[in-house]
Amino acid sequence: MKFAGLAMVLLIAGGFGVTAESVIQLTDQMGNVVEIPQPVERFASVYGIGTYFAYALGVDDRLVKGWYIGVKSLGQASEAMYRLEPRLPDLLSSGDPNIEEMVATGATLIFVDGARHAGFAEQMSDLGVAVIQFMVESPDALLEAMQLAATAFGEGAIERAHVFAADFHRVLARISADIQEASPLEAPRVLFLGTDPLTVSSGDMYQSWMIEAAGGIHVSSELTGYWNEVNLEQILLWDPEIIVIPPYGPVQPASLLGNPDWQAISAIRNGRVHRMPRVIAPMDTPVPESLLGIVWLAELLHPEVVGFNLEEEMERFYAYYYSYELSATEMETLLSQ
Amino acid sequence: MRIRGRSTGWLLVLLPILAFLASMLIGRYGLRIGETFRALFQIGDVPDVVRALVLRVRLPRTLAAACVGANLAVVGAAFQGLFRNPLVEPRILGVSSGAAFGAALALLMTSHLIVVQASAFAFALLAIGLVLLIATRFGSSTLVLIIGGILVGALFNSLLGLIKYVADPLSTLPSITYWLLGGLSRSQWSSIGPLLVITVAGLTFFLLVRWRLNLLTLSDQEARALGIRVRLLRTAVVLAGAMMAGVSVALGGMIGWIGLVIPHAARALVGPDHALLIPASALLGAAALMFLDLIARAALASEIPLGILTGLIGVPIFLLLFLRLLRARGEAT
Repeated sequence: MKFAGLAMVLLIAGGFGVTAESVIQLTDQMGNVVEIPQPVERFASVYGIGTYFAYALGVDDRLVKGWYIGVKSLGQASEAMYRLEPRLPDLLSSGDPNIEEMVATGATLIFVDGARHAGFAEQMSDLGVAVIQFMVESPDALLEAMQLAATAFGEGAIERAHVFAADFHRVLARISADIQEASPLEAPRVLFLGTDPLTVSSGDMYQSWMIEAAGGIHVSSELTGYWNEVNLEQILLWDPEIIVIPPYGPVQPASLLGNPDWQAISAIRNGRVHRMPRVIAPMDTPVPESLLGIVWLAELLHPEVVGFNLEEEMERFYAYYYSYELSATEMETLLSQ
Repeated sequence: MRIRGRSTGWLLVLLPILAFLASMLIGRYGLRIGETFRALFQIGDVPDVVRALVLRVRLPRTLAAACVGANLAVVGAAFQGLFRNPLVEPRILGVSSGAAFGAALALLMTSHLIVVQASAFAFALLAIGLVLLIATRFGSSTLVLIIGGILVGALFNSLLGLIKYVADPLSTLPSITYWLLGGLSRSQWSSIGPLLVITVAGLTFFLLVRWRLNLLTLSDQEARALGIRVRLLRTAVVLAGAMMAGVSVALGGMIGWIGLVIPHAARALVGPDHALLIPASALLGAAALMFLDLIARAALASEIPLGILTGLIGVPIFLLLFLRLLRARGEAT
């Protein structure tokens, strides 16, 4: 099963309660049963998305090595990343993980991308290190992943995972209620670009779900797999009313708005090309911040009916989940559309 | 049996015309024939979207497909004669690997198409420069050229691997991967200028020297005895071929098989004489890539990489041609 749910969480304790020898058993998102010795004092995350789970769950102080989505080197790290994680120069890794180096970190738990590093996970498991493999391309899988990660760390993290799930459901319910006021005919056609103007997101991707949750029609949802290469004629055929650019990559709204070949597209004619803002992690990926990405999209798609207090939502999210105080410039970036 | 005479000529002329018309008339966006022609020849009023589609999307892309197809096929035909080897294709001299590395390196830093193309072309020329340097040092025989090409190709393939390894899997790596798979979706008027110029110049060069290419298939001594400056002609053919292949790869990525299969198909139609083989390869190559690109852009909502299509269709065609050759020699039943 692709997303084997959190089938069970057993406490196989040596005595009563959690002791030094206690082990938590869980089933990860690739269906593997994982035994995690408790407590987890040192852990690593080879999963660039999962690393941000640690911050949201309040266990980042136990991180000894991390892969960060969108940050391959210190040169790519923003000022915000350094503020979030002052130990970044010591923690940051990228590329394929090195087994011996990973063992040398002394991590007793590793987060891994199940789609990419299953072989590495198997080798680390053989060496006696607990490995949780994640597979997150849907909101349910994100909530499940947060819950799994939290389970490995115990009570405090579990409570934060519950808060996150409640926040997630609150936001979705609010958007759903608000956009019910808008006629279905008013759902705008949205195209989500990749790192190139002719690369678009498919219906299998997290971005597709985000657009629909925000009350839009994802025009390229018929596509499958990961990012798809299309041509301009196909984009003309879809004729999106809004084009969204991810917060990474070189594409900028001005380059599309000024391109004479794109002028027949409704979104271009109406100036509706928007680049997602970014402070820490890219909001279009299944990181905790994607919660804000949905809020941002809903406001973009239905400014008349969706009525979040964006400033309050943003401020609260970063303060609670990342213990991060937004600067005035960052807030301005987040609120700009 | 070879098709000879007037019917062959008509076939070779009609195929590219048919391919061009099909490419202009068919696409994901349903256009009526009349409005397509009105937009193409700028007669009367047509909606903006139709004009944009015909003149800014389909026309530059169709021309790009024709140029890339003609270039790869002509260079393949010329190199097969030059190296006296029917399995040679434009990639033999490491030009494509150089261009691929150049494009990947540029994609690592920018997605600006002109920069990517310029980098690909510059590294294609660097690759052929290195091959010629090796040939100068070790004697410019065809064997040295081929070995030089293999070495330079391997070097750039390794460097390409390094670029892919360090590329950001979220942003840059997909761009590099798509580019390497081959495709013409980025063919716009602003990006096909160098391709058009080099194609016209290159095809003119090969049409002018096509008679002499026959003499390069002889041994160097025999060619010299017939008054050919072998070294000069060989270097000119290699350089012209490298520029045509380089500019094609720079725009379209790694499009294989056209340079191998089309010359064989053309040879089956007009025979081995380069005087006919070069123009026949150009026409067939242009037609083939226009048809294949039509499939690549119109069959599905997402682009089918051209490199995949040329391989899927090129392999069985090559096999058929190869069996036919063996049968002609009495080596197959």
